[in-house]
Amino acid sequence: MSTAIFRGHARPLRFITCGSVDDGKSTLIGRLLYDSKALMVDQLESLGKARGAQSQSGKLDLSLVTDGLEAEREQGITIDVAYRYFATPKRKFIIADAPGHEQYTRNMVTGSSKSDVAVLLIDVVKLDFAQPTLTLLPQTKRHAALAGLLGLQHIVVAVNKMDAINFDAAKFERVVNAFGELAASLKLNAFTAIPMSALDGDGVVAHTVRTSWFQGPALLPHLESLEVSEARGGTTAHIAVQWVTRDESDDHLRWVTGDLAESTLAVGDAISVFPSGASAIVGAIRTGRGLIDSAKPGEAVAIRFDRQVDIARGDWIIAGNADAQVLTQKTQATIAWLDNAPLTVGRRYVVRHGSRWLPARISAISARLDLANGQWQDTVANETGNPFADVNANDLVRAEIEFAQALPLTAFAKSAALGAFVMVDPGTNATAAAGMIH
Amino acid sequence: MTARDAFLSAPTLTENSVTHDHLNWLEDEAISILREVFGGFERPAILCSFGKDSLVVLHLAMKAAAPGKLPLPIVHVDTGHNFPEVISFREEFVKKHGVRLIVGHLDDSIAKGTIRLAHPLESRNPYQTITLLETIEANRFDALVGGARRDEEKARAKERVFSHRDSFSQWQPRAQRPELWNLYNTRITQGEHFRVFPISNWTELDVWNYIARENIELPSIYYTHQREVIERGGLLVPVTDITPPRAGETVVTRDVRFRTVGDISCTCPVASTAASADDVILETISATASERGATRMDDRANDAAMERRKKEGYF
Ligand SMILES: Nc1nc2c(ncn2[C@@H]2O[C@H](COP(=O)(O)OP(=O)(O)O)[C@@H](O)[C@H]2O)c(=O)[nH]1
Repeated sequence: MSTAIFRGHARPLRFITCGSVDDGKSTLIGRLLYDSKALMVDQLESLGKARGAQSQSGKLDLSLVTDGLEAEREQGITIDVAYRYFATPKRKFIIADAPGHEQYTRNMVTGSSKSDVAVLLIDVVKLDFAQPTLTLLPQTKRHAALAGLLGLQHIVVAVNKMDAINFDAAKFERVVNAFGELAASLKLNAFTAIPMSALDGDGVVAHTVRTSWFQGPALLPHLESLEVSEARGGTTAHIAVQWVTRDESDDHLRWVTGDLAESTLAVGDAISVFPSGASAIVGAIRTGRGLIDSAKPGEAVAIRFDRQVDIARGDWIIAGNADAQVLTQKTQATIAWLDNAPLTVGRRYVVRHGSRWLPARISAISARLDLANGQWQDTVANETGNPFADVNANDLVRAEIEFAQALPLTAFAKSAALGAFVMVDPGTNATAAAGMIH
Repeated sequence: MTARDAFLSAPTLTENSVTHDHLNWLEDEAISILREVFGGFERPAILCSFGKDSLVVLHLAMKAAAPGKLPLPIVHVDTGHNFPEVISFREEFVKKHGVRLIVGHLDDSIAKGTIRLAHPLESRNPYQTITLLETIEANRFDALVGGARRDEEKARAKERVFSHRDSFSQWQPRAQRPELWNLYNTRITQGEHFRVFPISNWTELDVWNYIARENIELPSIYYTHQREVIERGGLLVPVTDITPPRAGETVVTRDVRFRTVGDISCTCPVASTAASADDVILETISATASERGATRMDDRANDAAMERRKKEGYF
């Protein structure tokens, strides 16, 4: 057999679905899985056995496809990020299914960090088209703001339940315009809006006569064709060192491993090491495919240098000379608080940046994201006079963070590797926050 | 167009985009996760059933370590009810690759009295957990790499790549740590450990494509062979000492292959003439039953069975 099946295809596309309860998110995911034949016979059978599997109309309830844990099934809500897979002949997809419930912003942050694209659901039934200017729901503003903050490369606005408003093109246009204004105010990347009915299938895998007035693609072909990049616009290659191994057959030469970020790295390139400042020339590079001359961003590499270099897990390899390393100890960052224990300003947390763990503290909070409208608000003193009082789970703030050591930080917009960190509560080991450097 | 035709006529990449080929992307992700384990833990190990998923993980682990040696031991939980082909494969593998193997014997747990079978021919799958936990404790492992995939079971869809287990090895579905980017929070206190799943994002089809591309060797029972079976309740039950025919059942010889390896008493083959990984891929594409549903007798009964066993420490 000469044709490689799913060998030589483009890399998988990872997307997060964002919607509030009842927007039709589960139905949409169910439809994608169902229509792409990912649902095998026995899963369909167990679906039939599950409680309440038939919707009132007698149709198969697609939203039950995505239910996972027993407890959730009992509550009837999704409470965590779940990952789903489906493939078309063109591409494989990884869905981060983040819940729509108000207090679960943290799950959207988590799911987004593993996604290239956000599919944002808007339920047209919840909108008031009688008003002269159409107002989007607070959750739509919140989801859009988060997608922007987390640097997702594309946003797809799934304008759902069009069947409930007779596939009215003019109303769709009003939704698109309202979202356009929101996107402009949030300085989002370009977005694509698609009219659909997740329930009936219009606009999901293909458009139907009911959406024939729409000029753009249906959701699935759009996702199949999206180009995504492993790099974010940074120009300097860098690697967080994960592990160092030795070639026992070749004079115990050391090979340093990690994921290459942002730019290519080739044999012969000069690099420097953080924190030692040592410099070296790249002598050899290998990936899972063997020895190569030049590696691309996103590749997991092992590198040998032209000389012995003192290097360990936690260090960075950065292209260029050591003088070019810009080190910062105190900086502004966006902090998404995830832990149920609130943030304590001035408290010592442990932070993971790249593969390095080190202490850090939040020294000041300057603004807070108003989740109702997606706008930043300067923090003002509350009744107790403490402007730092309550940063709780699901809050997003702008803060000043001070690391125990100067680090090669870069804006998150330029490098996810150098620009992101996580904060851990040293007492409980709970993951307390996600941080993005400004 | 059938699914098979669609897959066969799928477009391929051009020469210069090959780096971000589908399988390379998955391979890089898995290698990166494995290096987190190599570099980030004191006493890691790879749990291996010598089934296809764990053999893919071992292959990836050897790549992640190259040109160095595999820096961690392999752990096999031996139920004592094995297909002989799997055990001989295990012995060959260890010899060929010079890896360190630690075997946890279910029979030892039975002898110690930590496992009490209701009757001698009972399925040993449910008891693997106990032997596994005893092996973890005896070796003080702080990370155990496994070959589980999120697409296998609905309950696994929410599993983390680095899944925290408390000192009773329990999985807490409500207290999972959020995973952000690839900045895994691998901090633990004494007695706790992580289960790590480098091929979480792979589907069965990905695994077979990778096996074909990389020429990964599998135990022979994964490919077509003739075997005596009994047709029972829609399943083909292999005839063995542990699973003899019941009164009135007819033994037939069929062309079959196994889709998972497990305890002999509860693993069934499917009718198949697939002699290579590529043949299996074509069968998989047109398969009408997902992996576990068709072959594991013990999973059929209850959709939530997996979730319960996970809470108890099963993978
Ligand atoms: N009319 C109509 N109803 C829909 C559509 N999509 C979903 N629904 C219904 O909206 C309700 C909520 O859907 P569900 O998928 O459970 O929403 P979720 O909470 O966002 O996952 C269910 O009763 C669905 O049948 C649609 O496109 N049109």
